[in-house]
Amino acid sequence: MTGPDAPPGPTVIVRVVARLLLAPSVVVAVALIVKGYTAVGDGFAAGMVVGLAVALNAVALGARRAEAALPVLRHAPYAAVGGALLALASGFFPVALGEPVFSHRPGPDEKVVSVGKAELMTAVSFDVGIFLLVVGVVTVLVHQLAEPDQEPQA
Amino acid sequence: MTALALSLLVPWAVGLLLVVLDGRRRTVGWLGVVTLGATVAVLGVLAADVLRGGTVAFVTGGWPVGVGILLRADALGVTFALSSCFVLLAAACAETLLGVGQRTLPGLLVLLAAGLNGLFLTGDVFNFYVFFEMSMIAAYVLTGYGGGRAQLRAAVIFASVNLLGSFIFLVAVAGTYRVTGTLAMTDVAERIREVPPNAAVAVAVGFFVAFSVKLGLFPFHYWLPTVYADTRPAVAAVLSGAVANIGAYGLLRFGPGVFAEQLRLSATVLIALGAASIIYGGVLAVARHRPAEMLAYSAIGQVGYVLVAVGVGGPVGFAAAVLYSVVNALNKALLFLTSAVRGPLVAGAFVVGALSVAGVPPAVGFVGKLAVFRTAVDARSPTLVVLLVVGSALSLLYLFLIYQREFWAEEDREAVTDAEVRDAAPARGVSRRVPVVVLAVLLLAGGVWPEPLAAVSGAAADVLTGTANGAGP
Amino acid sequence: MTLAIAAAAAVLFGAGAYLLLQRSLVRVVTGIALISQCAIVTIIGSSLSQGRAPIDPQEGGPLSDPLPQALALTALVIGMATLALLLALVHRVVVTHGTAERDELRDVDRPGAGGDEAVRHEGDETE
Repeated sequence: MTGPDAPPGPTVIVRVVARLLLAPSVVVAVALIVKGYTAVGDGFAAGMVVGLAVALNAVALGARRAEAALPVLRHAPYAAVGGALLALASGFFPVALGEPVFSHRPGPDEKVVSVGKAELMTAVSFDVGIFLLVVGVVTVLVHQLAEPDQEPQA
Repeated sequence: MTALALSLLVPWAVGLLLVVLDGRRRTVGWLGVVTLGATVAVLGVLAADVLRGGTVAFVTGGWPVGVGILLRADALGVTFALSSCFVLLAAACAETLLGVGQRTLPGLLVLLAAGLNGLFLTGDVFNFYVFFEMSMIAAYVLTGYGGGRAQLRAAVIFASVNLLGSFIFLVAVAGTYRVTGTLAMTDVAERIREVPPNAAVAVAVGFFVAFSVKLGLFPFHYWLPTVYADTRPAVAAVLSGAVANIGAYGLLRFGPGVFAEQLRLSATVLIALGAASIIYGGVLAVARHRPAEMLAYSAIGQVGYVLVAVGVGGPVGFAAAVLYSVVNALNKALLFLTSAVRGPLVAGAFVVGALSVAGVPPAVGFVGKLAVFRTAVDARSPTLVVLLVVGSALSLLYLFLIYQREFWAEEDREAVTDAEVRDAAPARGVSRRVPVVVLAVLLLAGGVWPEPLAAVSGAAADVLTGTANGAGP
Repeated sequence: MTLAIAAAAAVLFGAGAYLLLQRSLVRVVTGIALISQCAIVTIIGSSLSQGRAPIDPQEGGPLSDPLPQALALTALVIGMATLALLLALVHRVVVTHGTAERDELRDVDRPGAGGDEAVRHEGDETE
């Protein structure tokens, strides 16, 4: 990850920045999900933002220490699968109602309940699912490729 | 519509769950089998709907056509989906009975089914690509199943070559969008007629190369023998019986279905390539020594028949191509699966598969061969008929060689065969042979009563020739 | 602009093809990654249009075509997934074979029937 001439391990600055960036990245991600319907952004972009922060952490601290500092990361595979299932559920539930796949509720002209700027609709839960999927997958990938010996099943 | 959505949802959702669970446990393996069984059942319902009431289609999200993604089940797609999922079911059954050796296997097989259903049941070129990659990624991981050196090497080769094929497909998709401004297959098929011929041919060649790589046709076959011969039998059955269907389906869907004019232009080339595949595969299969390798070369030869039928074209040709693809998928699944088990019943099943590949009457392969022969006669080409006969004779020869080496010399080899080593629990000795025997019985039944298969492939060909094109909502 | 994009795609494909022919598996993977980028550049180049984002369009004026952007994004994601998969594969090859050279993989090539079984058992143990 570092060049042959670089000192062993990243510098203090990288480590501090990596640690500090994690929280803001989550805030940005939430903003991207919430804004995603009238402006640029969606679950995937949000997931990539957090995923990049996680990746930076893994680069700065090493995968094992990053996991020790943030034990949530151990659940990344479950987050990925849970997110994918949530997205699938949000996409396919209209089948039970006899509507085409990926119709959203409330429908196009119905009233939407909103909390602040966040509109509560199934399209948002789809994006949250995608967000979890992307974060989970990126975390698993980065940690597997950084220190693959922890789990031989790649 | 519900059946169409369920055929995607069931394998997709359960497959995701299964990937996290430990597939080496028996219950998880059986859960995978049950899911695949349910998928086959849903597809059966869907197929009944399609054959009775015509194409089932809807646009995602209730959007207008062109904005949302068109999911469409017509006779062609359903036929391929059904046969592929059935092969996956047989392979999953066989491997679960033998004992799954890797935790992700059941989940991957089920996800592969989801990807295949998605690509067979879509009317959108890019959606096709997405599901195509989903199934290919599952297939790449499956190829490494077993984790031995040979399997890893096979996985690296398979993944690199097929990824190249995928990217060529993607470039062709970009080209399609450039020249037609749409990605819905029916619109592309209409607008491609006004496109300058050079551009249209370039795009069509891109698709042809991409699918030929998947299918392992003659000039693009170089990856195939290593991969089929070095993977585990169940995986080889899946690759040749389900994943290769992508190529056959793609050739049919994009050839006569979208690039009909370009297909007519290149008919001679296709027939020549198909004939080359038949002869090349047959001759090399006879020349090889390892059974798995012989079967791999046989696969190259068999897809040649499909290409010849597509090249000749017309209702008869396309029906023959569909029929032959389905039959070939079942044949190959049976033959590869037999190499994992031993015993007199298995030998019998192998004989049925061999007869089917060679096109000898009691087995369903005869029906497939007959259909291809009919297309050759229709094309009024004695050369073609002779080539097909030579190909069949070669296949009979190499299959007899395999039978001789594998089943006659069995007593000497029994001690070293790993299938026998794994046979620690004798109680499941007989049950392990069930999938193979069921497949063999099915091949025989299809040969004795071929009307349903013929009707289905006829309906699929009608979709392509446009006589039953009730497509689009 | 189309010419520039075509040139970029050509360079990417050429460099990717060159790397594909190298012996080291890591270079092969890099080559595949470059070719995937070539495909994405082609998608972008196939549908150049300038305009506003088509989300919630109110005023008149040119809109950019959203479809190729969606295609490119999807293709990028799929490319990333396949790249990760290939890297994981190469890593396992390095662990089991102790090499990332394509030629040395061939040493396990074509053992006889008995040798094949031996290889398989070795595989079973490494699981």
